[in-house]
Amino acid sequence: MGLWEAFLNWLRSLFFKQEMELSLIGLQNAGKTSLVNVVATGGYSEDMIPTVGFNMRKVTKGNVTIKLWDLGGQPRFRSMWERYCRAVSAIVYVVDAADADNLSISRSELHDLLSKPSLSGIPLLVLGNKIDKPGALSKQALTDQMELKSIVDREVCCFMISCKNSTNIDSVIDWLVKHSKSKS
Amino acid sequence: MAQPLVKKDDDRDDEAEYSPFMGIEKGSVLQEARVFNDPQLDARRCSQVITKLLYLLNQGETFTKVEATEVFFAVTKLFQSKDMGLRRMVYLMIKEISPSADEVIIVTSSLMKDMNSKIDMYKANAIRVLCRITDGTLLSQIERWSNEVQEAVQSRAALVQFHALALLHQIRQNDRLAVSKLVTSLTRGSVRSPLAQCLLIRYTSQVIYESGNNTASGERPFYDYLESCLRHKSEMVIFEAARAITELNGVTSRELTPAITVLQLFLSSSKPVLRFAAVRTLNKVAMTHPMAVTNCNIDMESLISDQNRSIATLAITTLLKTGNESSVDRLMKQITNFMSDIADEFKIVVVEAIRSLCLKFPLKYRSLMNFLSNILREEGGFDYKKAIVDSIVILISDIPDAKEAGLLHLCEFIEDCEFTYLSTQILHFLGIEGPKTSDPSKYIRYIYNRVHLENAIVRASAVSTLAKFGAAVDALKPRIFVLLRRCLFDSDDEVRDRATLYLNTLGGDGSVVETDKDVKDFLFGSFDIPLVNLENSLKNYEPSEEAFDINFVPKEVRSQPLAEKKAPGKKPSGLGAPPSGPLSTVDVYEKMLLTIPECANFGKLFKSSAPVELTEAETEYAVNVIKHIFDRHVVFQYNCTNTIAEQLLEDVIVNVDASEAEEFSEVFSKPIRSLPYDSPGQTFVAFEKPEGVSAVGKFSNVLKFIVKEVDPTTGEAEDDGVEDEYQLEDLEVVAADYVLKVGVSNFRNAWESLGPDFERVDEYGLGPRESLAEAVNTVINLLGLQPCEGTEEVPPNSRSHTCLLSGVFIGNVKVLVRLSFGLDGPKDVAMKLSVRSEDETVSDAIHEIVASG
Repeated sequence: MGLWEAFLNWLRSLFFKQEMELSLIGLQNAGKTSLVNVVATGGYSEDMIPTVGFNMRKVTKGNVTIKLWDLGGQPRFRSMWERYCRAVSAIVYVVDAADADNLSISRSELHDLLSKPSLSGIPLLVLGNKIDKPGALSKQALTDQMELKSIVDREVCCFMISCKNSTNIDSVIDWLVKHSKSKS
Repeated sequence: MAQPLVKKDDDRDDEAEYSPFMGIEKGSVLQEARVFNDPQLDARRCSQVITKLLYLLNQGETFTKVEATEVFFAVTKLFQSKDMGLRRMVYLMIKEISPSADEVIIVTSSLMKDMNSKIDMYKANAIRVLCRITDGTLLSQIERWSNEVQEAVQSRAALVQFHALALLHQIRQNDRLAVSKLVTSLTRGSVRSPLAQCLLIRYTSQVIYESGNNTASGERPFYDYLESCLRHKSEMVIFEAARAITELNGVTSRELTPAITVLQLFLSSSKPVLRFAAVRTLNKVAMTHPMAVTNCNIDMESLISDQNRSIATLAITTLLKTGNESSVDRLMKQITNFMSDIADEFKIVVVEAIRSLCLKFPLKYRSLMNFLSNILREEGGFDYKKAIVDSIVILISDIPDAKEAGLLHLCEFIEDCEFTYLSTQILHFLGIEGPKTSDPSKYIRYIYNRVHLENAIVRASAVSTLAKFGAAVDALKPRIFVLLRRCLFDSDDEVRDRATLYLNTLGGDGSVVETDKDVKDFLFGSFDIPLVNLENSLKNYEPSEEAFDINFVPKEVRSQPLAEKKAPGKKPSGLGAPPSGPLSTVDVYEKMLLTIPECANFGKLFKSSAPVELTEAETEYAVNVIKHIFDRHVVFQYNCTNTIAEQLLEDVIVNVDASEAEEFSEVFSKPIRSLPYDSPGQTFVAFEKPEGVSAVGKFSNVLKFIVKEVDPTTGEAEDDGVEDEYQLEDLEVVAADYVLKVGVSNFRNAWESLGPDFERVDEYGLGPRESLAEAVNTVINLLGLQPCEGTEEVPPNSRSHTCLLSGVFIGNVKVLVRLSFGLDGPKDVAMKLSVRSEDETVSDAIHEIVASG
């Protein structure tokens, strides 16, 4: 990045708020709504009710306003995920890293979704949640089992996080802020 | 009147040219709807687009499934906007576009959030949308949100509380216990909004109604709550509570007094609405408790001159009900003065008041009947005329002296009556009452005039009426024959057919004989099959070798939906409902059962129970059962209704498991071959049991059938069906099923004449009971005998009570029972049971029922 460009970016950030829109998806009980709460307020609750439909949240981090579409993960909502992923800045896919049984379903749901033409090229952030639990997968194992290497048509990134202990949440926010609209 | 109307049309033409929506097209609006997906929302623009979409929908424009789905999902994205105006449009749009249930659930979470938002507009609207989009499949989800709704009920905002309460009630409406709990918790006082309070009062009255007439202890549940609402600061709530109290089942004058007091205050209010509401309610109360209203008479006298005619009418008719005989003439004069000023609907109120007045003071019938016949001649709509005619008919039936005058008034009326319905009804009534008068011949002219002057329907009924005169009055017969023969040349088929039929049945071939009993039955007998059922059966009948058998037409009146059942008792009707036929239900059932070959040797039907529901309300298949008791057999008649339009059921049968009814063994079962949608059918299962013994037992039932899908467009069923079954509730045969309720007019005489030979006396401790009345009721229901001389009513606060019962036990054995109850300690009830009957085994059996119950 040249000096001039950096200067322009700085100037822009003074006058314009940056905006981004994200879709948060993944199987039920992966921790999507918890993640929203942690990002928005830093609060965490064990006692969550399943999301029936979607929650819309706006979070401001620095000079970036993030619009979050937090979608329900139950099977009957999965067909509707795509409608809320169109034209977002990034798709955040949350996986319960400690739930080995459902990993293959999670993988196929993800690959199904990414195969939709309307979503081509949208950056993907995969989050392995619940690493505080015993038996949670490592980042390498998750990358392998989710077959993330096979996704080549877009930027893919993976973090291992814990909403409960706020592990790695900062890295997630950093990544998101970097992908906000005005950058591209 | 005509001038402004024309002008308005002109205005509209002008307006149309400037309408912002003139000529908008669906295609372009759908294009515009893309702004919903913009990252930077323009709330104003979005609202405009939604307005256009709503406009299109309201113009009857239809959206394809794909279009509607696209629009719907785009609209859901607008939940991100915090613009109040836009959010309101979003709610409207979701309601209007109403996508399919599996899609609409996507907004559930957002609506739940709005329901708990701080902004009242969000809350009320979100609840409203939830109410609208919630169906059976979503209900289980909603129930999980009960907490959220519950919180909304505690809201400080009036409208939020109102809507939340309505939603909570709707969720629980089919669960009586839950509604009762809801009312119990809320009546302790957290509802502030007057509107919600009114709603709560209504729900409370419903709970009171359903909890039955348990007034033995003098304490009606929730009465205190209703009474406390009379002291509310909002007039609306006060009125609602007062009205609820006046409408309580079997309300006592002590309960009424506080309600009447507040209504009396309203009578002198400066607000016409309050005066109207109060006088209307008092008017209703006056029908059942005239004495309670007399305190308000002075206030009401002053309302006669109220400038609001509706209030004046209600005041005067209330006074008619509460006043005494001497004031009748004065009031009648006042009514006549303003009768022409008021609307039909209030004229009906006046007519009804006159009717009850006349029944109260039969001596005044002449002036009241004159009044009725005068207004009958004036202009008026159908309902009004019908009310008058009904009233005259009721007066004729109740006051013998009024009969001849009343019939002549009716005759004059049909000479110039524009309503076919009323003409035919009056002709029918004339046919029954006319022949019984001193000079039947004077009515013939009026009736025969109809044959000349009226339309075919009236002519046909005139023919029937003539025939009735002929059948009942032998002296008139030759003249009637002449008239009937003339009717043979009528231009209408039905009229000619009837004339031919009657001429033949009455022996119109010239010989004047006394009318046969069969003919009289045919002419005057009642028709005991509900017409709806007959119509349904005829529709389903396919022409074949087998003739249509009227005995197979169900005689059950299909159970009404719950809401209608709650309607308060019907007032006496005039011509509309003929008195129920002389045939008892047992006769009807017996006739029907005899048509089943297997039942032919069962002997005489002893008793048929009332229908017992085996399914809950609003289920796929509605089934109730009637227990027919014979000497050695029991037949279960299952009345089944298929409530799914897309299904045809075949070979419907109930599998009965009698393992808990040892003395019963199944003899046969008769399936329903085909059960189309909404057309009830019956399947029968018969059991053998020991003779004359009141064998009891429990039966579990499973409905088995073959389901065939029905194409909703063609109404044709597919060829292949699937076997399926449906669990029904259990059914019990209890001792009371073997007892017939037969009353005796003088219990003491009957008791003495039966003698002490087979008297059995014993004492029982019934343990702690809710109240004495509850204990009495339980024993009466257990025995299934007829309470005599009103002894089933327990006066409030009594410590002891004697109840007299009578009936017939299976085997036609007369039974009399004398029950003496006493309170033993605070709640314990003790009972002495004395039985007399014609057979000692029966006396013992009655004791057995109580001992084992």
